[in-house]
Amino acid sequence: MIYLDYSATTPVAYDVLDTINKVTKEYIGNAHSIHSLGVKSAELLKSATSQIASIFGVSENELIYTSGATESNNLALIGVALANRKKGNHIIVSKLEHPSIYSICDYLQKNLGFEISYVKNDEEGLIDFDDLKRLVKENTVLVSICAVNSEVGVRQPLKMIRQIIKKENFGTIFHSDMTQAIGKISVNLHDVDLASMSAHKIYGPKGIGLLYKSSNVNIMPIIHGSSKSSEIRPGTPPLPLIASFSKAIRLANIDLEKRERFITLLNEKIVNHLSKYPNILINKTKYSIPHILNISIMDVMSETFIHAMEKRDVYLSTNTACSSGELSTSVMAIYNDLQRAKHTIRISLSHLTTTDEVNKFLTYFDEEYQKLSTLH
Amino acid sequence: MQKIVIIKYGELSTKKDNIGFFLSTLKNNVAKALEGLPTQIKNDSGRMFVYAAEEYLNAVVAKLQKVFGIYEIIIGYKDDSFDIDIISQNTVDLLKKQNFKTFKIETKRSNKNYELTSMEVSKKVGASVLKNIKELEVDVHNPEVLMEIEIRQKEVLYYSQKIKGLGGYPVGTLGHGLLMLSGGIDSPVAGYLAIKRGIRLEAVYFESPPHTSIQAKNKVQELAKKLAVYNASIKLHIINFTDIQESILRNIPNDYLITIMRRMMYRISERIAKRNHSQILINGESIGQVASQTLTSMKCINAVVNIPVIRPLCCFDKLEIIDLAKKIDTYETSILPYEDCCTIFVPKHPVINPTLEKCEEYEKNIDYEALINTALKNAETILINANDETNKYSDIL
Repeated sequence: MIYLDYSATTPVAYDVLDTINKVTKEYIGNAHSIHSLGVKSAELLKSATSQIASIFGVSENELIYTSGATESNNLALIGVALANRKKGNHIIVSKLEHPSIYSICDYLQKNLGFEISYVKNDEEGLIDFDDLKRLVKENTVLVSICAVNSEVGVRQPLKMIRQIIKKENFGTIFHSDMTQAIGKISVNLHDVDLASMSAHKIYGPKGIGLLYKSSNVNIMPIIHGSSKSSEIRPGTPPLPLIASFSKAIRLANIDLEKRERFITLLNEKIVNHLSKYPNILINKTKYSIPHILNISIMDVMSETFIHAMEKRDVYLSTNTACSSGELSTSVMAIYNDLQRAKHTIRISLSHLTTTDEVNKFLTYFDEEYQKLSTLH
Repeated sequence: MQKIVIIKYGELSTKKDNIGFFLSTLKNNVAKALEGLPTQIKNDSGRMFVYAAEEYLNAVVAKLQKVFGIYEIIIGYKDDSFDIDIISQNTVDLLKKQNFKTFKIETKRSNKNYELTSMEVSKKVGASVLKNIKELEVDVHNPEVLMEIEIRQKEVLYYSQKIKGLGGYPVGTLGHGLLMLSGGIDSPVAGYLAIKRGIRLEAVYFESPPHTSIQAKNKVQELAKKLAVYNASIKLHIINFTDIQESILRNIPNDYLITIMRRMMYRISERIAKRNHSQILINGESIGQVASQTLTSMKCINAVVNIPVIRPLCCFDKLEIIDLAKKIDTYETSILPYEDCCTIFVPKHPVINPTLEKCEEYEKNIDYEALINTALKNAETILINANDETNKYSDIL
């Protein structure tokens, strides 16, 4: 099998799986129970959280566990919207967000009367600073811009974006969906007020994510169920998931740069190879991270090509797994070319990808492409 | 020039005959604090030097800021040339790295055979600085940068960056004491102050399961760990106090519960102290804070022991104690809401002026000697290390 869809999800690392097993078997107590089994679980919970906090340089109480990045995005956007209704009803997002952000905005617009603005980006995918500056108003309660786009891999300069937002309106809260950034590039959580992340993109289990919430920011819970009013996301802490998430974060941050250099080589090899085809466009800007490589095969249907490659035991995606079957909004936002956006294939790479896998992939690619492109 | 850390001692330099003991203890404590960092420590006439690769120096300074007996921590440079032109050049090189407008050169000369006087050195070096770095001025009263030059027997030291140390005496130079450590705000602060005056601590904690929880015990261990930072490590004796406490509840009039309980705790503490060569007991009592801390209460409670009891906080206000607790980072742990022995079974109206006669009369109702012996026999002792960074979850996380 040649798996090249690491941006959709990753296989759980062996060591991480080990943690899930161990904690499931050995820590049966509810971390909220006051007896010794509960205390034992609570201690592990605290250590797991403290490890994440120290890796990101934040406090333990700034980390809120959720079921994944989609819930984190919901908690961030709806939580801010509910807590700040008196201050304003305006939210700004980019055109390069994960589909979940747009669904939440839609919900806020229809049900809570929020006004949503979409900040422009330039042809490299970078947020248009002037446009952002123009959009931030007195009633802007939140700006949400992803750290790394999930389809084209464009990385945004969060620190600069933050400075622009805060200069225009210091009270505006800055959220970033960091799901595609964590474990791939180094991030600074102090650049933002809120950040979403997920374990299953970094060789951790599915079903666990977190929201970083700076202690300076207030949000309202969207799930209720705890007698403790301080708890923003109530529920029994899923300790096996949390402990293994913590381990996955630690492991993902080892050799981050070395891995990135290796993946860059693989990425360049594929780009060089595919550049020879006049009908294949490489959707890569100078801000794209090497882990995500997006191309448009203009003379073959994306889905057909995915299934053809699948028969060779190669796994790719058309765009993000959460919007499969539709056009790539990110490619559309950057290139403003409908055909190009309809024909995208996303190849996502990992440090686990081998040179041999890439060579085989390119051979299969050539064979399948030549077969399919001559049909039209 | 070699970048080094220089340690200046404060009050220590007033010691005469036993200064050697103070310094060797300080050196050992410094070595212990710097464990794990590749360093070399040398004592040399009035100063201690720590040599380490430059990348470790910040970590060295951070660790030294938690060692008692240090008056000042200096990040400086050492060179073995006494040539005045080289001294001038070195000073210029060091000052060039900094951004400032006014400066002053101050020279000390412990090497009295040196050809120039301190004033002459300062003048020559100052002139050279003015010539070589543009737009600088000398300000002898309030300079932005004070560059100090020390001409010593074997080397010349240069420094302009000083960090205040904790002061106090090196831990262990003034004997051993046993701290009565509860989970509250006061006792860790009392322990800290005792360590500051050179006392090496052990601690005793009374637990009363099931009335007190594991969380309360963990909290006390956490507090001990915070104190261990200054004490290298702390031996914590944990006494199961349940039987004694229940017996008191059953047999002693309500208003004397706390008084008698404290008397029992003192008796046990004294025995642990004597067994472990501690010369004194230390606790967090502060005059008048609660009923058991009035002068008459203290007298009645203190009467059961024949060992000095030091109360470093006896004349502190609660707010002063809280400030100190925050400074030494024990406050947040202390206020975690777990019951300890002293907070469960608190009578509505505890006696404020107990009498010895009544205490003794009431105690006849309990066979406390047997209970104390059992408690001592079952004492659990754990060693708590400050540098104990070994992750107990290394296989899980």
